[in-house]
Amino acid sequence: MEEIILKARNLKFSYEGNSHMALNDFSLDIPRGAKVAFLGSNGSGKSTFFLCCNGIHRPGSGMLYYNGKPMDYSRKGLLDLRKKVGIVFQDPDNQLFSASVYQEISFGILNLGVSKEAAKEAVERIMEEMDIASYREKPTHALSGGQKKLVSIADVLVMEPEIVIMDEPSSSLDPKHVRLVNQAVENMSAKGITVMMATHDVDYAFAWADEVVVIHEGRVLRQGPPQEIFADPALLHTANLTRPAVMEMYDILCRKGILNPDAPMPKKLEELLSRLTVL
Amino acid sequence: MATIDKLSYHSRLRYVNTGEKFAFSAITLVLCIGSRSVCLAVFVFFAMGILTVKKGGIPISEYLRLLTIPMVFLGMNSLILGVSIRQTPLEVFAIRWGSWYLTGGRETIGYGLQIFITAMAAVSCLYFLSCNTTMTDLLILFRKWKCPALIAELMLLIYRFIFVLLDRGKAVSIAQKSRLGNRDYRTGLHSFGELVSCLFVNSVKRSEALFDAMESRCYDGVIRVLEEEHPPKKREAFGMIAFELWACFLIWIGR
Repeated sequence: MEEIILKARNLKFSYEGNSHMALNDFSLDIPRGAKVAFLGSNGSGKSTFFLCCNGIHRPGSGMLYYNGKPMDYSRKGLLDLRKKVGIVFQDPDNQLFSASVYQEISFGILNLGVSKEAAKEAVERIMEEMDIASYREKPTHALSGGQKKLVSIADVLVMEPEIVIMDEPSSSLDPKHVRLVNQAVENMSAKGITVMMATHDVDYAFAWADEVVVIHEGRVLRQGPPQEIFADPALLHTANLTRPAVMEMYDILCRKGILNPDAPMPKKLEELLSRLTVL
Repeated sequence: MATIDKLSYHSRLRYVNTGEKFAFSAITLVLCIGSRSVCLAVFVFFAMGILTVKKGGIPISEYLRLLTIPMVFLGMNSLILGVSIRQTPLEVFAIRWGSWYLTGGRETIGYGLQIFITAMAAVSCLYFLSCNTTMTDLLILFRKWKCPALIAELMLLIYRFIFVLLDRGKAVSIAQKSRLGNRDYRTGLHSFGELVSCLFVNSVKRSEALFDAMESRCYDGVIRVLEEEHPPKKREAFGMIAFELWACFLIWIGR
């Protein structure tokens, strides 16, 4: 049986001075090492849940379990939790505060209480890995949106988290940086990091995720493998989601008898195209 | 503000040790102001200009443009210092106003000029520092010199968010202009008010978001960051000492 790294049970949360429940009976399980896509419209509670995952928000009721243990909201418990659960925020301008890239990346790791030498080494390594060393001396405000995003990812990765949460990482990025961010996400998964990502890109979610969580009005409508989720028209309709283009095309090709429906469903456009070219 | 910041990142003197640059401009500044020597001030004004433009590689047009700002301001100041209001006229010129004279003598004009030249030399010292040193490096220096953490951290955050705020302000202002928000004086005033209040709300929201983001990275009340070091070079240090000795010599000559 696969190991559950993060478990949420009946979370309820509302923002101060607001009677609207941002999270309402929110429950889910995140398997270790999985790639989990969070789909749902703006204001459905994705970001609120993410902030619960590292203890920034404390749910009014319900329980969160990390590695099977209930979350510890003591000072030390929170520090331990935040070391293991890193969040890459949607707007890098809200995350990057240091004057230079090098300083920015060093902030998180120095907070873990490691020695300066070890921190230096880790910062150099992550800059090398993410290929951002060329602008290490630049001030953060002189970076492009895409570069800021890569730095904000390095910010979190340098702390060697077990879970990385990404809130719409490729929103308003150019295609080149979308590719770089996606590459960074692939590298995380290869290292065994659990990745939770909010996205509006159903095509990407379909191709990338092992698990899809559909969120609507503060609760989890359904959690499951992408093929199952996107095969349920009623669910997609309630959550205002569309079907991935590849899936639509594949269905028609199967119905017309051009492709064999018994073979596994292609996840990406390239897979579908290569399937078609060999016909 | 934004231009000096940009220039400092492209300066060829950027990686010269910050302490060295700081000491160089501070000592020269103190010598200039302390001695009020015109001879030294003229030398410093040109020497700093040449250092910034030739060595630092700051475009001369930019440098001159930057100089005009304090020049106008200091010029007006010195003009006031250079004239006096008396009941008896002085030798150079006098404008009568009833029984009083707006008048200038050799001494008062000389004093005004001296102040002007000294002040311009002081400005060129500060421009040398700010055009060739990034704010980041200065902040690191303040930290090293045991400047209270609260002040150093506030400076860091203010420096970073000035640019975020400027960007936001620009974006909002463009959005207003695109919808004729500055059609006439009245709408202009109104739009400006809206801009200010919107920026205020925006910065409050941003500060909350930033705090959450910092907490997410285990922030515990102290901002600790790594610094890149550029140790001072012997050649530079000797050059600096020679420069200051020469400055003292000029003060002595100009007495």
